[in-house]
Order: sequence, then C-alpha cells, then structure tokens
Amino acid sequence: MTTASLSISSGSNRILRNGGFLALPLIILVWSLADPTLGREVLQWIPYLASGFMMNIVIAVLAMALGTLVGTIFGILQLVPYRLVRYPVIGYVQLFRNAPHLVLIFATTYIFPFEIVIFGNYLPFPDWVKAVIGLAIPASAYIAEITRGAILSIPTTQWEAGKGLGFSRNQSLRWIILPQCLRRSLPPWMNVAASITMGTALASLVGVHELLHAATDASTAVRRMDFTIIAYIVVMAAFFLLCYPISRLTRRLEARFKAA
Amino acid sequence: MQDTSLTGLFVSLTDRIGLNYEFLATGYEAQIWRDGFVTTLYLIAFLIPVSLIFGLLFAACLTSGKTWLSAPVRAFVEITRNTPTLVQLMFSFLVLNTFVSNLVGGAQNNPLSPFFWVVAVVGLHIAALHAEAIRAGIEAVPASTIEAARGIGFNQWQILRFVEVPLAFRASLPSIVNNLINLVKLTTVGNAIAVSEITYASIMVWTQRDNVVSLMIVILLFFSLINLIVARVGLWVERKLAVPGYGL
Repeated sequence: MTTASLSISSGSNRILRNGGFLALPLIILVWSLADPTLGREVLQWIPYLASGFMMNIVIAVLAMALGTLVGTIFGILQLVPYRLVRYPVIGYVQLFRNAPHLVLIFATTYIFPFEIVIFGNYLPFPDWVKAVIGLAIPASAYIAEITRGAILSIPTTQWEAGKGLGFSRNQSLRWIILPQCLRRSLPPWMNVAASITMGTALASLVGVHELLHAATDASTAVRRMDFTIIAYIVVMAAFFLLCYPISRLTRRLEARFKAA
Repeated sequence: MQDTSLTGLFVSLTDRIGLNYEFLATGYEAQIWRDGFVTTLYLIAFLIPVSLIFGLLFAACLTSGKTWLSAPVRAFVEITRNTPTLVQLMFSFLVLNTFVSNLVGGAQNNPLSPFFWVVAVVGLHIAALHAEAIRAGIEAVPASTIEAARGIGFNQWQILRFVEVPLAFRASLPSIVNNLINLVKLTTVGNAIAVSEITYASIMVWTQRDNVVSLMIVILLFFSLINLIVARVGLWVERKLAVPGYGL
C-alpha cells in the first residue's frame, strides 16, 4: 500500500513538475487573451524585453566562460606546493567567495574607467563588460573551490599509478586527474551557472540594459498596474524557463553520480 | 576626544598608502556609513530566525504527504529557487506593496517599510533553500527509526517533532550554514529599494568623495568577517549537536 501511494504521489508530482514549468507562461497567455488591450501592449513590448534578456544571456555566458577559465587555474594553484603562490590564491578565493555579487558588480563598475587607451586608441569600456567581470570574479572563486574539491576527491593511488607509469606530476594532472574531475564537478558547476545567470539581474542596478531594466522601462512607459504585474511575471518566467531545466538536470546528474 | 584622535591617526596612516577615509572625520557621512553597517547587521539578525522558521514550516509541508499542502509549497520553492531574488523583491515592492497601499487607502497609511519587504522576500527565498535541505535530511532518516517511533506510540506530529526534525536538522546543518552565508550576501539587494544598508550607504559616501576602492576594501572585509563568524558558529553548533555513532 505504501509503495502504491508512493508511486501515485510521484506520478502526480511529475505532472505538477512539468505542468509547473509552463505555469508562468500560461498565466501570461491567458491574461493577455482575457484582456485584449493588455495583450496588445504585451505583444508590443515583447521584442524590447527579449533584447534585454539577450543581454542577460550574453553576460551570463561570458562571465561563466571567464570564471571557469580563471577558476580552474586557481583551483589547481590552490594545491601547488609553493606557499608564495598558494596563499594569495587561497586569499582571493576566500575573499570573493564570501562577497555579495552586487558588491562586486558595484566594485567593477565604479573602479574601472569608462574607456581604456590602447596604443593611442580610445576603446569604450561599456557597463555590461564590467558586469561580466563583476560576475566572473565570484564565479571564478566558486569554481576554484569546486576544482580543488574535485582534485582532492580523486584517490591518491591514481597519482601514484600515474607516477608508476612514468607520468610527471603535471602530466598526471592533465591526463589522469583532470578528466576525472570534469565529471565530478559538473553538477556543482551547473549550480554556479544557474546562480550567475540569476545574478545578471543585478546588473540592472548599475544601468545595464538587461531584462529587469527593460521591464522597469516598459512599466514606466505604459503606466498601467496590470501591465506592470504582467511585465514582472514575464521577467520571472524568462529566468524560470532558463534556470529550472538547469536545476532539474543538476539534480538528476547528482542522483545518477551518487548511485554510480 | 581620544576617539577623534584615533580616527585622525587612521585617516592619516591610510592616506599615506593612497586610501581615502577622510569622511570618517566628518560627522554626517561617517554617521550614514556607520548606520549602513548597523542596518545590514539588523537585516541579518532578523533574517536568520525568519528564514529558519519558515524553512522548517515549508519542509514540514513538503514531507507531509498531503498533496494540497505540499504542491503549493513545492511550486513556491521551485519559483523562488529559479528566479532572481532581485526580481522577486522588485515585484513584491512595486506590485504587492502597491496593493497593500491601495487596500489601506494611500501610501502614507502603509505600515510596510522597504525594510519589511527585504526581510520578507530574502527570508522566504532562503527559507525555500532551507526547506530543500531539511527535506533531504528528513528523507535520510532511516525508515526503521520511524517505524520504531510509531511502534512506541508516537503520532505523526510527535514523530516529526521528536524524531525526524532533530535528526534531519543535524544532517542538513552544513547546507543550512551554506544558505545562511548566501543570506548574508543577499541582504545587499535591499539597495534596490533604498534600504540604507551598507552598499546603499557607501554609494552615498563615494558619490561625494570618489573613494570607491577604500570603501570597497572595508565592505569586502566586513562581509568576509560576518561569513567567517556564521561559518564558525555553524561548525560549533554542528559539533555541539553531533550524535555519537550517527551520520558522518
């Protein structure tokens, strides 16, 4: 009886889960159809909001790319036997892992100049690039910790086996240890990716034209209470549609790796 | 008197290495900045109990086995986890707050301050994360333990109160501490709706003084210190509550 009720509840859970995935877009659709004047406004503003959301995705992808690159290197550097290298890197990771994303976005926005001079050419240094760096810093700190943890989770015998086969320390790291780390660090890496993606909304506070900023613009332009509500629901739906699959996949991968 | 001379000494010393803390010697800006730190600490002090209480409540709903109770909470948890806190805060402040204002007849009668909305939104956001952690902990309680409790005559509530929650709390403590560190970091979103916490206060100072780097160093150290304390207290509680022979 317990098993039967369990399977029923998990079945209804699955319906809830998959139905829930589309609940927010459905609210928007139904409401827009129920009130055609509102629907027309929403339709009119969707391209503007979409252009904002593209900015979120661009910032998130670039920040994660930069953060992954720097974070992997720092994760390895946290384990090198030279204190002079190790301690500054550990300090960087601890400081920026504990720092709020918003503070780091403010830091990069206000500290970096608005243009840089390279060989006498003035290159603009736009706010969204600063937001990318501001989000790449905490991403790199998290990923450094993930990489360090993954490397430490590989049994020492693997290193010894590598040595026995004539691999140098660096070769063992490159060809034996890191490939195994890739699999172990994938779920936490995806958690960081989701968190950074949601962090891109903070860039609106420093004036980057992204989705939340676009929604605020739209709602001040239209000046209708129901439009304001639906605009923010659109924002939530957009982030939800992006982040929910990531977190579902993360949980599934975690469960599978735990079972393996 | 001695206080001012100490401040003066600090300002001149830091000035020598290129940092600008001159505003500390003035009354007004130093006051704003101090209040910023105090507000952030207040937010944290309010948020930790709020998030824990609601986290426990959500976890109880999620594991109750009653669909009408668990489904809405599950939906809330998923939406909260997968949308940015800032968007939730803006939505609450611009939409729900306006509703409340209209309900009580004008914004001047509205008893809900921006401070309240930050506590409510961030508290519930972290509560959702706590709920997931505690739920995982409750599900990790061995079935035989629960059967034994049922065998000696505990009802559903008593099992939750005396068996599942104490064991689940211990199992989920590392995740909870992790969430609390996130909570400390999330207090900065209050900046968006003009709660004068530390980043908001710092913006007030650095727009006047142009000393972003100096203030940034202090803010980063401040958050590192708070998170260090939270992590240490978490570790202490974990050791204090450790059941010999149970768990890791």
